[in-house]
Amino acid sequence: MGIKLVARARLDAWVDSLVQQQTVYGAQAKGDRFAFDRLERASALRLDYDVTILPPKKYFQPQREVIMRFNRKTVEFESVIDEEPFVLFGVHPYDMVAISQMDKVFTMNQFDKHYMARRANATIVVSSVETASSSVFAACMNNATMRGKSGHDVLITKLPSGHYVVDPRTEKGDNLCEGLAEAPEANAEALDAREKVLNQNEKSLRKYELRVLPEDLPALLDRSRSHPVWQEKAELCYSCGSCNFVCPTCYCFDVEDEMGWDMETGHRVRKWDGCMLVDFAAVAGGHNFRSKRSARYSHRYYRKGKYSWDTYGEISCVGCGRCITACTANIANPVEIFNTLAEAPQ
Amino acid sequence: MIKPRIAIFDFACCEGCQLQIVNMEEELLSLLEHVQPVEWREAMSDQSDDYDIAIVEGSITREEDANRLREIRKRAKTLIALGACATLGGVNKLKNLFDLEEVKTAVYAESASLPILETATVQALHEVVDVDYRIEGCPIDAAELTYVIKCLLIGRAPAPPNYPVCVECKLAENVCRYDYDEICLGPITRAGCRARCPSNAFWCFGCRGPVDDPNVHAATQVMEQYGKTVEDLKVKLTLFGTQ
Ligand code: SF4
Ligand code: SF4
Ligand code: SF4
Ligand code: SF4
Ligand code: SF4
Repeated sequence: MGIKLVARARLDAWVDSLVQQQTVYGAQAKGDRFAFDRLERASALRLDYDVTILPPKKYFQPQREVIMRFNRKTVEFESVIDEEPFVLFGVHPYDMVAISQMDKVFTMNQFDKHYMARRANATIVVSSVETASSSVFAACMNNATMRGKSGHDVLITKLPSGHYVVDPRTEKGDNLCEGLAEAPEANAEALDAREKVLNQNEKSLRKYELRVLPEDLPALLDRSRSHPVWQEKAELCYSCGSCNFVCPTCYCFDVEDEMGWDMETGHRVRKWDGCMLVDFAAVAGGHNFRSKRSARYSHRYYRKGKYSWDTYGEISCVGCGRCITACTANIANPVEIFNTLAEAPQ
Repeated sequence: MIKPRIAIFDFACCEGCQLQIVNMEEELLSLLEHVQPVEWREAMSDQSDDYDIAIVEGSITREEDANRLREIRKRAKTLIALGACATLGGVNKLKNLFDLEEVKTAVYAESASLPILETATVQALHEVVDVDYRIEGCPIDAAELTYVIKCLLIGRAPAPPNYPVCVECKLAENVCRYDYDEICLGPITRAGCRARCPSNAFWCFGCRGPVDDPNVHAATQVMEQYGKTVEDLKVKLTLFGTQ
């Protein structure tokens, strides 16, 4: 199917029919902010959201998931795999970039079937950003739009006219857009208007200005291990992990067994964990590799700007800005830290 | 398997934490298949001097209570402090902010001098005896009690969370109370309640006590950024942070 130009009423009718047929998660209002949640009707979908509190990673790697059921006595166990297909509606480009990175992480050394089953079952509709959040800097990280990027099944972009350009990119996307078959094809004028929206996003999604190129971050971090900023900021750090949990490229987890009352059967759960938490690097025997707040504090930045580069060739800060707002101590801004490091004489 | 004998005691408290146990309903029946209750004033009439696990609710406010607690400690192999009154001294410790005689007169008026109304500085259980495990909260979360008991049954040391409430609050995807210009004690309070208060649009008032190494320095510095003072923070800390 080609690229469609869709009026709002038709878009709503399409979304309403989708939620009747399958599980759709979409960006919706939550208090004064936004969150992805099960979508019941098109009117609840807020494609004008600025940023969601948690990234959509929660649908691929839930906060808490049962990965195995076991019987201690008979030593039997079975993996638990989530089989339900679903649609993720309204993901922003920076979050899509993060999902593509996580696809690498969860297949790199060991193929994670729990994550990948959900990933295979998902149809992702990316929405070009309509409202910039107060702390987004995705443009500095080259993640303001989907230009030159893949992983999404459909790209939808709202034009200043109020119409939407709906652009299916994969077979899954084509299938999802079947309900729009009657809509007119997007003409050259509409496609031109879309380019303008994308150009504008590349300009405006930079509430903070990163004064180094993303690809120079690994070298910058490499020479900054003893910079005083780590200690200075760490003194204000609560070790609360908020900056980890809201980050679309933080994927660390902890695995725990929960026993049933029969004391024989139980299940193994996987839960989110974060490198900023005190006990994260604690290992058996009471040793903690990063018992110092400053060591934990700096680790996150090294992880985002260097280690991911070293292991899978990407800078894993996508510029969503969530950590900036989530940190109640106001010390988690990656741009501020990277710029401070860049100012130091080499 | 011999069922461990379990006894539940209460000191100065509202018995709200025991109520959480009673309210466990089906979960409680499962639990009772594995332990044998030998004394529990709120639910049975028996008394016993012989038990493996003592679950103690409430704080210590009189010398005779302290002695009774020492007696319980002697008999119990494992002593669990149940709820904020037991683990921290809880709201009862507000009394410690005032002169004892004044408090007595305010509460009992003319009868204040009766020997039976003798009262002392409020103490948490660990300030009187050794406590093996703590179940924090005002009131407790029954799921944590079942977790601790299950651990004891299979011989594993229970590990309560040593991270702040913010962790569970973020997992629940709540809007942060600081976004509403409120002071929330979540960043320095021990998690385990599934961020009960912020999940219900209320700031955390610290009923589970602090994490092992709370960054109080950060908390005081951060106040200024939000246009608040250290005094504002101290007021919030009074309820469950009084010594
Ligand atoms: S480090 Fe911060 S800005 Fe970067 S991707 Fe993670 S949450 Fe977003
Ligand atoms: S959110 Fe802020 S205070 Fe919390 S761990 Fe991250 S940097 Fe530290
Ligand atoms: S901790 Fe709270 S609920 Fe529990 S007994 Fe004390 S006052 Fe009551
Ligand atoms: S509401 Fe409180 S507990 Fe939740 S993130 Fe904010 S400070 Fe932390
Ligand atoms: S959020 Fe805070 S005050 Fe509320 S139950 Fe949890 S620890 Fe207690």
